[in-house]
Amino acid sequence: MSSQVSPQDVVNALRVVKDPNVGRDIVTLGYVKELEVGDSRVSFALQLTAPAGPARDQLVAQARAAVSALGVANVQVQVVEQAPARTAGHSLIPQVRHTIAIASGKGGVGKSTVAANLAVALNRAGAKVGLMDTDVYGPSVPVLMGGTGVPSVVEGRIEPPEEYGIKIMSMAFFLPKDEAVIWRGPMLHKTIQQFLGDVRWGELDYLLMDMPPGTGDIQLSLSQSIPLTGAVIVSTPQDLALSVASKAIAMFQKLNVPILGVVENMSYHVCRQCGHREEIFGHGGAREAAKKLNYAFLGEIPLDMSIREQSDSGKPVALDDSTIYGKAFQEVAEALVSQIVVADSKTGDEISIE
Amino acid sequence: MPPTPTKIKLAAGNNTLAIHWSDGHESVYPYRYLRGKCPCATCGEEAPVPEQAIGGLPILGQKPLHPERADLVGRYALQIYWSDGHSSGIYAFTHLRALCPCPECTALREVAEASD
Repeated sequence: MSSQVSPQDVVNALRVVKDPNVGRDIVTLGYVKELEVGDSRVSFALQLTAPAGPARDQLVAQARAAVSALGVANVQVQVVEQAPARTAGHSLIPQVRHTIAIASGKGGVGKSTVAANLAVALNRAGAKVGLMDTDVYGPSVPVLMGGTGVPSVVEGRIEPPEEYGIKIMSMAFFLPKDEAVIWRGPMLHKTIQQFLGDVRWGELDYLLMDMPPGTGDIQLSLSQSIPLTGAVIVSTPQDLALSVASKAIAMFQKLNVPILGVVENMSYHVCRQCGHREEIFGHGGAREAAKKLNYAFLGEIPLDMSIREQSDSGKPVALDDSTIYGKAFQEVAEALVSQIVVADSKTGDEISIE
Repeated sequence: MPPTPTKIKLAAGNNTLAIHWSDGHESVYPYRYLRGKCPCATCGEEAPVPEQAIGGLPILGQKPLHPERADLVGRYALQIYWSDGHSSGIYAFTHLRALCPCPECTALREVAEASD
């Protein structure tokens, strides 16, 4: 039987397998590595972070069964225990397994809101998550995350506060409320380096980085300082936003950073009074653009006052996935994790220099 | 995706640096050739060093040259710390590949230039 399964199908099938120790699925936990899909043949590695004991054999058997159920004749599973992080030895953040930039090009499309809610959604799915606000000029993460905590200094390094179980870091912590940062590039570079190297992020599955708009100093510093796992592009559906988003995409391509997918924010608005659906910025533009450029479309987030209200009051809507908005972010997070697995399988081994 | 290095050898013998690429290609760069192609802004502005000694005097800068170390820049480039103290050049992988001095790549470049 010739199988026509895609890497995406395999990832989706593997989602049903849960690590009994954590109670979450092995895809979200980032266990699935080195996925290769051939003609009626699938191979992948399961990277287990903790010595799994009897759970290990059960996980392998379940994962194998899940893929076999797709009609794949030959399934090969390899177990890697406590493999080192992918990043090179000189990395600033050796204990962080995936680093994801949330970018847009254009300002005001809701990058920070999307970043905060994705962080919450990933955390609720069982992953260890950090959220770094790289927008030095207009930091907004602490407000979005209900920022009551402040960083402290432990052993000469910065201990990030935790909000809803997510470690956060932002320039806003270091400035009086109405003070502005008026800096040139080299200072920004130094700050980014410090946010990476001098912050005690600890062990993380995902470190999300909320980017400022544009294709300038901060984007370049970040892309040069660490090998990013990939970038998520946020756009509103109208042509103007999409054309600027394509500049951000071009920048990441130039810097060899994989594009993990596109999120359409402010996709449509449903009137609370009459239920009429108004497509304020047009609808589906980001989906079409993603399709044309051959990138994954991760999902659409409606424009709704409750998202704005909850963001302003520091309670991300993703905290409650019984609402359609919380659910929308949950779905984007799931699609993102799938794309990370696929991207991981495409980037080869670490580059060795001798 | 364009090919990326899988292995970089700073001292591949005979004053060369070698790169194994993800598509199986292998590039071997003489140090001086690579130093001369430094993409940094300062080098771009530099006056060319004359090939021949002027009036029989040795030319400065023709001391033995080698990379002391190299770091990866994000996932797109290599930064080489040369023994002459220079390190500001960021060699993008695409740039390095375009510089490959093997006869095959050189021939391809000449064809491309001729058709321009």
